Amino acid sequence: MRKLDPKIPSGPLETKWDRHRFSEKLVSPNNKRKLTVIVVGTGLAGASAASTLGQLGYQVECFCFQDSPRRAHSIAAQGGINAAKNYQDDGDSVGRLFYDTIKGGDFRSREANVYRLAQVSTQIIDQCVALGIPFAREYGGQLANRSFGGVQVSRTFYCRGQTGQQLLLGAYSALCWQIERGQVTMHPRTEMLDLIVVDGQARGIVVRDLVTGRLSVHTAHAVVLATGGYSNVYYLSTNASGSNVTATYRVWKQGAVFANPCFTQIHPTAIPPGDASQAKLTLMSESLRNDGRLWVPKTMADRRSPGDIPEAERDYFLERRYPRFGNLAPRDLASRAVKAVCDEGRGVGSSGYGVYLDFAGVIEQQGFDVVRERYGNLFEMYHRITGEDAYHSPMRIYPAPHYTMGGLWVDYHLMSSIPGLFVIGEANFADHGANRLGASSLMQGLADGYFILPYTIGHYLATARLPSIPEDHAESRAALHRVTSKITRLLSAKGRRTAASFHREIGTLLWNHCGMSRDEAGLKKALTSIPTLREEFWKDVMVPGSGDDFNQELEYAGRVADYLEFAELLCHDALHRQESCGAHFREEYQTDDGEPKRDDTRFAHVAAWEYRDGAVPLLHKEPLTFEFVQPTMRSYQ
Amino acid sequence: MKFTLKIWRQNGPAERGRLVTYEAQDVTPGMSFLEMLDGVNQRLIGNGEEPVAFEQDCREGICGSCSLVIDGIPHGPDRGITTCQLYMRRFPDGATITIEPWRAKAFPIIKDLVVDRSALDRIMQAGGYISVNTGGAVDGNVLLIGKDQAETAMDAASCIGCGACVAACKNASAALFVAAKVSHFAILPQGKPERTHRVSAMLEAMDREGFGSCGNQYECEAVCPKSISVRFIANLNREYLRAGIVEAGLPGEPESPHAESV
Amino acid sequence: MALAGLGLTIYVIFHMLGNLQVFEGPHAFNSYAAFLRDMPILLWTARIGLLSIVVLHIVLATQVSLHNHRARPIGYAIHRYRQASFASRTMMVSGMVLLLFIVFHLLHLTAEVIGSPTSDRVDAEGYRDVYGKVILAFQNPLVVALYLVGQLGLGLHLSHAVSSSLQTLGLEHAALDRLFKAAGPAIALLVVLGNVGIILAVFLGIVRP
Repeated sequence: MRKLDPKIPSGPLETKWDRHRFSEKLVSPNNKRKLTVIVVGTGLAGASAASTLGQLGYQVECFCFQDSPRRAHSIAAQGGINAAKNYQDDGDSVGRLFYDTIKGGDFRSREANVYRLAQVSTQIIDQCVALGIPFAREYGGQLANRSFGGVQVSRTFYCRGQTGQQLLLGAYSALCWQIERGQVTMHPRTEMLDLIVVDGQARGIVVRDLVTGRLSVHTAHAVVLATGGYSNVYYLSTNASGSNVTATYRVWKQGAVFANPCFTQIHPTAIPPGDASQAKLTLMSESLRNDGRLWVPKTMADRRSPGDIPEAERDYFLERRYPRFGNLAPRDLASRAVKAVCDEGRGVGSSGYGVYLDFAGVIEQQGFDVVRERYGNLFEMYHRITGEDAYHSPMRIYPAPHYTMGGLWVDYHLMSSIPGLFVIGEANFADHGANRLGASSLMQGLADGYFILPYTIGHYLATARLPSIPEDHAESRAALHRVTSKITRLLSAKGRRTAASFHREIGTLLWNHCGMSRDEAGLKKALTSIPTLREEFWKDVMVPGSGDDFNQELEYAGRVADYLEFAELLCHDALHRQESCGAHFREEYQTDDGEPKRDDTRFAHVAAWEYRDGAVPLLHKEPLTFEFVQPTMRSYQ
Repeated sequence: MKFTLKIWRQNGPAERGRLVTYEAQDVTPGMSFLEMLDGVNQRLIGNGEEPVAFEQDCREGICGSCSLVIDGIPHGPDRGITTCQLYMRRFPDGATITIEPWRAKAFPIIKDLVVDRSALDRIMQAGGYISVNTGGAVDGNVLLIGKDQAETAMDAASCIGCGACVAACKNASAALFVAAKVSHFAILPQGKPERTHRVSAMLEAMDREGFGSCGNQYECEAVCPKSISVRFIANLNREYLRAGIVEAGLPGEPESPHAESV
Repeated sequence: MALAGLGLTIYVIFHMLGNLQVFEGPHAFNSYAAFLRDMPILLWTARIGLLSIVVLHIVLATQVSLHNHRARPIGYAIHRYRQASFASRTMMVSGMVLLLFIVFHLLHLTAEVIGSPTSDRVDAEGYRDVYGKVILAFQNPLVVALYLVGQLGLGLHLSHAVSSSLQTLGLEHAALDRLFKAAGPAIALLVVLGNVGIILAVFLGIVRP
């Protein structure tokens, strides 16, 4: 059993990162030219890392499955990006952002990582402004801020409802510059399907050209994964349909440990699911909760239209349960509160799975035009999807899987348990603990990609012994063989069911037993059902066409096959964690009034799972120690 | 609801394509256009046939993947949306709907309704960036940018790079795409130092890729999912004229700031 | 192309304004014609200049059209326009009509190859009787019909061309947006009304010998 060393620098929290950077070995400019780094994924983390590594002088090979790096799913983030700039002079500081993030994560993340994140947050904004990102401005020309779910200061920078898009296009433009300079070679429409590990070091990947179907091997001195999260394991989520777990999961099977997979965030404000054909859930920005009020009727199965329900018969349940934060309560609490009132039978809409998000108050106070300026595009989107006008009757919302805090385990260097394999952005587990605060994912993705990885990878490349390896190394051939046989198996099943039908089934199973709340019985049931479903998949899946050309169904079936294995890991972790913390809510561990009960004596650790062929994954625990903050009951009441 | 679909099927870039008729059954008005196509594909796969290839990803109108010409209009009959945001309640029950790919020399067909739009990436690589290194940027508030200016830049920057402007243009011109990017940077002070080189380089790249030229018909604006104004094209033209004057100006100026690295 | 087009536009405006003098009777019109003829160097410079602008405009337009045509080798089975004006969609056709008309017009009234030659006639004051020539020409219904078709081509072409050229030259401003957009149709209307006015006035006998 390997020991997981997080390699956290010693000394005071405030100076850990500075001292660490000073102690790191550097690669000389001449040598950088001879070093190749593979970056997989071109979201905020991947694009910013690839461009910065290119700028530093490394030869970068960058891959994405989309037709262009600009389409990575970071593009869909709406709300904003946090930074401890304290431009509003409302008491913000690096320390406060650090504390908010670690508390928001329910004390399940590393102090040192989170503090570093808060420190570099300010640089991100400066960098993004320099890149020409058109952040919202005040009339005087200064950067504008808004407050965002779960905090009491205004530290969120934004570009209308399209912050993710603008930040990604900024990173993409930096990437374009490096491509033009010849520092980065871009491989779009290319999917990573396996990792090549030589003598314990990550030395390359196997990819499939999605247009020609050709498999090829790319070797390098280090591999960086920035392949995002796995919310799509639930089938219905707010993620893009292409987002998948394949890269991180297949790397797990090559020996990288996977940390806290059960920490999956369910976003409170999505448009409720309609009928069975629905392929995705559409997120309504959390910023809506700044002005909208959530409520349900006080009585069960009240079928009156919302306008006919008098004030006294409405339950503003978030304001009631969390008077200090009200409608801005953190995502996990808000989502569960919504689920709770719906489970009581007080949900609204035809399915009963929905609550009202009401803007009547703010429209009355501040006027129609103010609301339209602030949320016009969101109201329009809501209208388009539901056919309803949210200016005159409240929106209906329901939680949806949105983000995964869990991911591949990494140390302070963002290196996984396989030397030379670095993991950044949503794909790693590092900074958000058991729950992520709003506007923090963009911050983390860019922090990792622009400011952290480019330093730490240099240290690895400067110190590791990296003999040159031929492309047809035995390990490359083995990896290629793994990929080929999987593809052949998928194509030769020739069954009767589509990959989507299996995806829907595993998604529903997980949503029911390992979704917003979990219990032992449900998880055990899921753990017995998943292998059966998987067997059925391999027997009965139908993948038309061949592997030698553009075949979207083959791509998809491969991803579904990985979900069917990964789901089990997710349930193992949820079963192991006998406490309720952050997004992970175990029915057995709650107070009398339904608040989560965390167990710091038994579970103040990172649960990191190692793959074992044909056996239950092996658990490693990385203890979490809190030297600088005291874990408290995470009270927002 | 039921629909008759005439869908362009083409096996590969070099093969001949044709319109094939399919029936879409059990469609509900609340289904999105792409979910309707999902349904058709599920049936095809169930019968062991190859599904219709089409692009999609975020399904919320921001990634720019989806790209269908529906009854002769890119992204379909509604304005200011992408294909994925189009719902079946928009069509009368029983209608016949023709679905074609984006058509342009610069966008070769990969399969069925999927085209290769990497030409747009190459235009971006020619100059669609501000060359600043990571690190060492000054404080974000050092540069004051008026709200109106920032908003106009944001209007231009909201382009999702879907290529509908090219698909709609009689000349398959990418003028609106280039205009959006050039304007975004030209409006902001950060983009000023490189504006001269940027506009020439991007327009040259656009020509190289085989896009046509702007005929000022403004079809692009009408189909743009982000409703980006053609006034940015006038701005692009101004930038280009300006670049012509400035570039011809001082002696000893390097032709391209990035020449040494090419 | 835009600049050449705008140059030609300015010419047709002045051409129309000059010809409006036909309403002032034979004296004014013939002396205007004589005034132009009295400066042969200027006249021929203008003629050659105009001709080369026309040629330049046509060459550039052909090049751009070919380039644009190549940009979409395979067309759509169904293509619907959303906001492109009729004029903008028929630039090629209206341009062809206009070209044929100009050739006819030059052969007809300038070179006098078509119709009966009249250049040896003089009016009462000894000027060459251009006025009489015009009156005579527009009494022929076939000629009038051809001229009206020509004017249709001119009107369509101009109504897209002028605004389009302004856009191409980057002349755009939030406050003046509507003005620029209206400039094309307005100028087209003005020129066509003026020209058609002359033709019809003669044909209907409002302006007589």
